[in-house]
Amino acid sequence: MILRRARYEAAGRVVGPLLASLDAWRRRSRSRSRARAPRTSPFGPPLESVRKLKELMSVHYFQGRYAEGAVPVAWVTSGFPVEILRPLGFHAVYPENHAAICGVQRLVPALSDAAEAEGYSRDLCSYARTDLGSVITGRTPVGRLPRPDLLACCTNICQTVLYWYRALAERFRVPLVLVDTPYVYGEARPHHVRYVKDQLEELVQVAERVAGRRAEPEALVEVTRIAKEGSDLWAECLAQGMHRPAPWTAIDGFFHMAPIVSLRGTEACNAYYRLLRDELKERVRRGIGGLRDERHRLLWDNLPIWFAVRQLSTLLAERGFNFVCASYTNAWAEAGSRIDPSDPIGSAAAAYTHVILNQDLPNRLGILRRLARDYGVDGAILHSDRSCKPYSIGQIDLKDRLVSELGVRVLLLEADHSDPRAYATEQGENRLAAFMEGFA
Amino acid sequence: MGAGLSDAHQRPYRRRRAHVVCSSGGATVTRKEYIARQRAEHGRKAVAVLPIHYPKELLTALDLLAVELWGPPGPPRGDAAGRLQTYVCALARNALAFLAAGGADAVDGVLFPHTCDSIQGLATLATDFGGWRKRAFTFLHPRGASRPSARAFLEAEMRSLAGGLEELAGRSLEPPRLTAALRLHAEIDAARAGLLDARPRLAMTDPELYALLRRGEWLWPEDHLAELRAARAAVKDRSVVQGVPVLVSGYVPEPIATLEVLNRAGAFVAADDYAAVGRRVVRAPLPGARAPEDPWALLLDRYWAAPPCPSRSADQGARVRHLEALAERSGPRGVLLHVLKFCEPELFDLPAIRKAFAGRGLPVLVIEGELEAELSAQAVTRIEAFVEMLSTGRAA
Repeated sequence: MILRRARYEAAGRVVGPLLASLDAWRRRSRSRSRARAPRTSPFGPPLESVRKLKELMSVHYFQGRYAEGAVPVAWVTSGFPVEILRPLGFHAVYPENHAAICGVQRLVPALSDAAEAEGYSRDLCSYARTDLGSVITGRTPVGRLPRPDLLACCTNICQTVLYWYRALAERFRVPLVLVDTPYVYGEARPHHVRYVKDQLEELVQVAERVAGRRAEPEALVEVTRIAKEGSDLWAECLAQGMHRPAPWTAIDGFFHMAPIVSLRGTEACNAYYRLLRDELKERVRRGIGGLRDERHRLLWDNLPIWFAVRQLSTLLAERGFNFVCASYTNAWAEAGSRIDPSDPIGSAAAAYTHVILNQDLPNRLGILRRLARDYGVDGAILHSDRSCKPYSIGQIDLKDRLVSELGVRVLLLEADHSDPRAYATEQGENRLAAFMEGFA
Repeated sequence: MGAGLSDAHQRPYRRRRAHVVCSSGGATVTRKEYIARQRAEHGRKAVAVLPIHYPKELLTALDLLAVELWGPPGPPRGDAAGRLQTYVCALARNALAFLAAGGADAVDGVLFPHTCDSIQGLATLATDFGGWRKRAFTFLHPRGASRPSARAFLEAEMRSLAGGLEELAGRSLEPPRLTAALRLHAEIDAARAGLLDARPRLAMTDPELYALLRRGEWLWPEDHLAELRAARAAVKDRSVVQGVPVLVSGYVPEPIATLEVLNRAGAFVAADDYAAVGRRVVRAPLPGARAPEDPWALLLDRYWAAPPCPSRSADQGARVRHLEALAERSGPRGVLLHVLKFCEPELFDLPAIRKAFAGRGLPVLVIEGELEAELSAQAVTRIEAFVEMLSTGRAA
């Protein structure tokens, strides 16, 4: 146990950063040695922070390889109040983030095939199929995922995660803690928030039992403070997109959101966002845009299409279309305003109940309307995501309202967040081309 | 007469038990006619209810007629289905089309239980963005095990729902009436369980049995109970059904041709775990002593005593164990999993259920549907082949 713990700490503090630095150095020297003609790219100069982002996430996953038996491991949904687990020393693994990595690397069909061979339907969420396929085959692009001691699931992003984590619980035979967040129609009612608060208090007891130690109240306050600061820093980064030209694209944001999802409540997360914020501010000051020539500003709704994100954004960028905001990345920026370190449990109950996907359509329309106005967009693309029903239901009506209320052009693009088999490339690109022609 | 109808508080039900709806032999009554008749004869308002779980006892106690809306099946009855993507389940799409086209205008309100993402989305889509203009209620039932937080929430949510329903009904919820409703529904469940358990001794086809059981989705509970009692009286003392016993699980037995094909091929439903039917039959009897003083506690107990359902439970193992127990009780030779396309709560459990029954040597057939009006020829062939295989196995 002590040896394993030492190995885990060394992986996170020494070996992981060292390997990440070596990797970065190798990439840099490789790119220098390739003396090729400068490519014409519609994008502005890449963000310097990307290197740090890669290092941060690589170290996180590298350290995870040594977590088993060293520290308690929790597999956690992206909307789970992880702040409660951090003071107990849990290493948090985010299957959704892992599935997104698999999506970018186009590993989903193979992993999904493995899940489907066990009887899981292709109609299920592709994140879930990817995760289950990875568990079944042991295949992962991050080396190895540590086996969970605890499964922590919060239904504020969808009910799917509950069914998915039930299946994981049955497979791993480990406790599943559930934070069931009542859907918000209008305003959350007092007994709804009280219910979530009660569950969080119950969760502390289970997590303590699994971790074999008590949660110190001061530590929870401190982690909550860090998480709130992280959320606020992320909000500050996103807000830079309000400038013209936007110093980055929402597509960049999809990748840079990894720390706020996976490392929320850690100093490493916040340090990274300070770096990113400062770089973005500097780009604003110097007038450097995410696109070389930003002519139209777009809003993105729903999860990204991970396997095609670069192709689609390039297609649009070549015609001067920049995604300057996204309801998805914004979701992690909204929590900060509700989190109160002096009341970690109570404020977490309110904050995690009010995430975008747990709110009714008028609330969602309000968020889209606000983003559209604050970021000055003249168009929006609503990704109708086959794998994410809670995000996609209502989009047809939302589209009509955005058009009639704000006068912006809106395209509904049908795809899937990570399964390329559910996306028709030609058709999608045709629709995007027609959409862009409408701006001429 | 069941114990549930014996005390003085239940007189209103007895007095109003004016007629029994006949569907076999006698005149049939459509839902719309029935709703109109309930309103005219008893002054009862009606509430359309989306699937699956909800405290029907509250509606009964408030003299509100619950009329469940499982789609309806068949093609969407209006253009509004196009407001939901085609990868959303047929039930939600059909329900939106039906509500928006005025199909449910005979009722006074709609109740949307917190069943899944799709019905939850439908609740806000229909009420906030058009499709339903009358009163709308939500019932957010807790997920997971019966932990203290969930019990407290469930009670608060039920009381909140009761408050809304009281306004619609124009009367307050009197505890004795709630007790009476609890007894009535417990008696109905006992009768339904009795019929399902006595299946081999029932001289009925499966479509006839299910038509009877599913009339409980819209009949006034006392009318439904009268029908159930009549059917129970006809239970024979020996097996009268010939064929291969099959355990059936799934969402809703639609199209009913699924059961016709099963019967015609030589099989019958020996055990039921449909969300619309068996998964809502609470088998735990009401404890007599607590009843008069604490109907809310009884209501909560009944909720937790229902069979495991993926839309409520956090434990997949509990569901598998429940199905295994059903199989042990009824001795099926095969398992038919009849699922609704895109229904994630059901689909996620399939591998575990398949694995469990494979371990017991019980063949499993999965049939996926979209609430079609007719069963596809492919599905018919698969069911026939499945039953033939089971029959051959028996002969061997």
